[in-house]
Amino acid sequence: MKISALAGCVLLLAIMGCSHLPGAPKPGVEVPRPDAIMNFADLYHQNCAGCHGNHGMNGAAFDLANSTYLNWIDDATLRKIIADGETDVQMPAFGRSAGGFLTDAQIDALIHGMRTEWPAADEKPQGQTPPPYTTALKGDVARGEQVYQSACARCHRESTQSITSPTYLSLVNDQTLRTLIIAGRPDIGQPDWEADIPGHPLTDQQVTDVVAWLASLRTMTPGQPYAQPH
Amino acid sequence: MTDTVHEESKTPQDDRKEVSRRWLLLKAGALFNAVVGIAIATPVVRYLLDPVRRKSFYNSWISLGPLNQFPAGETRLATYVNPYRQPWDGTTDDTACWVRHISGSSFQVFAINCAHLGCPVRWFPQSELFMCPCHGGVYYADGERASGPPERGLFQYQYKVVNDELHIYAGQMPTLANSARLRVLNNTGNKGCSSCAG
Amino acid sequence: MRWVKQTYNWLESRLQLEGPVKDAVLHPVPRNTASWWYVFGSAAFTLLILQIVTGILLALVYVPSAGEAWNSLNMLNHQLPLGWFLRAMHGWGSNFMVAIVLIHMAQVFMFGSYKYPRELTWILGVFLLLMTLGMAFTGQVLRFDQDSYWGLGIGASIVSRVPFIGRSLVHLLLGGPIIAGATLTRFFALHVFIIPGALLLFACAHVWMVLKLGINEWPMPGRAVRRSTYIAEYNKLTHEDGIPFFPGAFWKDLYFSGAIIAAVVVCAAVFGPYGPSGQPDPTIIRTVPKPDFFFLWIYALLAYLPPSLETPFLLIAPVLAIAGLVALPFMAGEGEKSWHRRPIAVLTLVTVAVIWGVFTNLATYTPWSPKMNAWSSDTVPERYLHGLTPVERRGAIVFQAMQCRNCHSIGGQGGERGPALDSVATRLTEDQLIRQVIQGGGNMPAYGKNLSPSQVTALVSFLDTLHPHNQPEAVDSAERAVTTIPAETGAKSSTKVKASASPQASAAPAGN
Repeated sequence: MKISALAGCVLLLAIMGCSHLPGAPKPGVEVPRPDAIMNFADLYHQNCAGCHGNHGMNGAAFDLANSTYLNWIDDATLRKIIADGETDVQMPAFGRSAGGFLTDAQIDALIHGMRTEWPAADEKPQGQTPPPYTTALKGDVARGEQVYQSACARCHRESTQSITSPTYLSLVNDQTLRTLIIAGRPDIGQPDWEADIPGHPLTDQQVTDVVAWLASLRTMTPGQPYAQPH
Repeated sequence: MTDTVHEESKTPQDDRKEVSRRWLLLKAGALFNAVVGIAIATPVVRYLLDPVRRKSFYNSWISLGPLNQFPAGETRLATYVNPYRQPWDGTTDDTACWVRHISGSSFQVFAINCAHLGCPVRWFPQSELFMCPCHGGVYYADGERASGPPERGLFQYQYKVVNDELHIYAGQMPTLANSARLRVLNNTGNKGCSSCAG
Repeated sequence: MRWVKQTYNWLESRLQLEGPVKDAVLHPVPRNTASWWYVFGSAAFTLLILQIVTGILLALVYVPSAGEAWNSLNMLNHQLPLGWFLRAMHGWGSNFMVAIVLIHMAQVFMFGSYKYPRELTWILGVFLLLMTLGMAFTGQVLRFDQDSYWGLGIGASIVSRVPFIGRSLVHLLLGGPIIAGATLTRFFALHVFIIPGALLLFACAHVWMVLKLGINEWPMPGRAVRRSTYIAEYNKLTHEDGIPFFPGAFWKDLYFSGAIIAAVVVCAAVFGPYGPSGQPDPTIIRTVPKPDFFFLWIYALLAYLPPSLETPFLLIAPVLAIAGLVALPFMAGEGEKSWHRRPIAVLTLVTVAVIWGVFTNLATYTPWSPKMNAWSSDTVPERYLHGLTPVERRGAIVFQAMQCRNCHSIGGQGGERGPALDSVATRLTEDQLIRQVIQGGGNMPAYGKNLSPSQVTALVSFLDTLHPHNQPEAVDSAERAVTTIPAETGAKSSTKVKASASPQASAAPAGN
């Protein structure tokens, strides 16, 4: 009798003292409203990681954790891209105003997180300032081809690295090309504007010319299946 | 049984007249109770059946807001407050629907509820499909069934444009039973189901 | 201690319960029924009592209002000391009760206990099972979170399929045109007054008949039930080889009930309460509703029924199932009780159990549903991206951005509605891939209208890289014949060979 009473007391104490039981609900609501999620890791994982890769690297689409890129692009441009998307390059619109599900505050939380939570953002650019995000210069197709041959063709003449097919060029816009040339993709080994020609960083004009030349290769009917005969 | 009980039951049985009177009284009493019961039951049944109403009682024209919220060529989520409501309904009166602005004043307003079993379908503008999270119903942009278990396309609300605002005729949870009151799609998926037509 | 005796006598002379209780407690039962197989009924009754007690305690706080129910549950979870524990006890008690009732039913079926003269006991049991399931469903509704809201939607959609009166039935079920305050109050009345009242009444009648008709003897092969002789045989058995129910058989019931309650306590403490999940706001459409455990099998069934069969099945199958259960003791009221001599009964039970298990298991990972967030949250595995050409890489982006991933998994992540695409290139040639993407088919929507030619080409070129290194991609047999003639080598097939070789070549160093 005494033993069972004792056991009862212990059990009672255990229960009374245990809001630390494993089953005790975590603080806060179990499933928050989707528009109340402000945590960068969750927001990024739910909305961006699919294309841009975990932690902004090694994804199919552009590596957002690229330090050159993060130091180069401003908040307003990022905000606009996330909210309105770039449908010509398969970037969906995520903002409420454009039919997506993210609120303005959530988009700001994403941008803030990209800039503060990824180590890449802390690496300040060394050496030269890159050409600006947008340019007023006009590109020259002929000069662009020359720059391409000296700066890009080293790798891109390989058939596995070809970027001159109309299919590829119809799936990227000029700004994508400019971003890729300037910021590079260190996660998959593509050099940035400084390293394309070692020791000779590309100038704004050179980048603009290459983009203009690539743009001139676009055709009216891109996306023909099967590779074209050489 | 004891003898006393036997005697007690025997005594009144002797007087047949009194017995028939007792039975008559009992029957009258039962009848009286039946009348009272029916009198009570009538309002109770009315009370229980109160929610069963015609469409026109529940439905009305509701504004989804100005047209400029719905860019042409896109499908957007719109919300409205159900017209028939009680103060204690909380958030459950808020209702969502998908508005597809085809062009000009041509729209399609789809119910959020899957035509299969009423789960909330989600629009994916990239693949231009509605997908249902419950049993995998998929619909094309115009609401036609694309795949999965639904036997018809998405339910659609009647709509009209008044003063640059989009109005829909709504008020009930769309189901197969009242879908005929909504605009039924002329798609091939709508077949072999008596309740769709009714 | 004399006053105890006096009080007892005073009460007993008025209540006169001693006789019936003694009769009930000491009635002889066949010795071999004092078995661990006979404890489930009493455990179910114990769980019913537990549910009533915890239910009443929860009702002290719960607010049956659509606007406040969810808040009051969160308050129970977070602010009342051990409020969450009570909720967990009630929730797990419900799970255990359904499970024990099902086990009890299976045991009764296996032991042939439903045969003469216990037919009515079985029929009441069938209704007790239905009411237990009704309690489980209405209890899930009272949680009034997103799962409960859309669960009601599914219920209303099923009811709406009833011909002619479907619309009225929906209104009756919901208490109005939509799921709202009136819906919750009527489910509250069902869960708290109507079903528990009936459940208690039926359970008492059920127990009464067990006491009056005696506990079913252990089934022996060859000892068949005959209406003319059974009662005499049973009485002989209990009097010649019987023991008093108390304590001979009762102590096992006592231990098992205690163990079940302890199991409920442990589950409640370890796994905690169910939800409430998100708030019941129908404008939150980014939700993936799912029913509670014991309704998962229905959820799975509804996904697999062909559309044309669904309405008839939903309306006819439950009626047939209940009718079958009720008719069982009349169709098989006599004869062998032992499972050794009832192969069809054993087979039926095993079949039902396997089907139930398979459907429940399927519903835990819902292979029929698109994974709504897969396209934007599941990354393309690095090993599939390595060494891709720029076009193929764009194809991978198209694959994600067009929500292909919602239905097709790669690298073990993504939807399971369609086939996994990890080795799709070994199954389909480039032409077949293009056709499948554009025209759809086999339950896949057609993407022809939604993809530009470039997107299709890029997507297919990406899909064409999805094959194991040691397995070549599928090639048209006609094309293969062409490539064997060097002079006639078409441009198309030669580049194909090149393209198929190159990812492997460039992928090889990646492994190092």
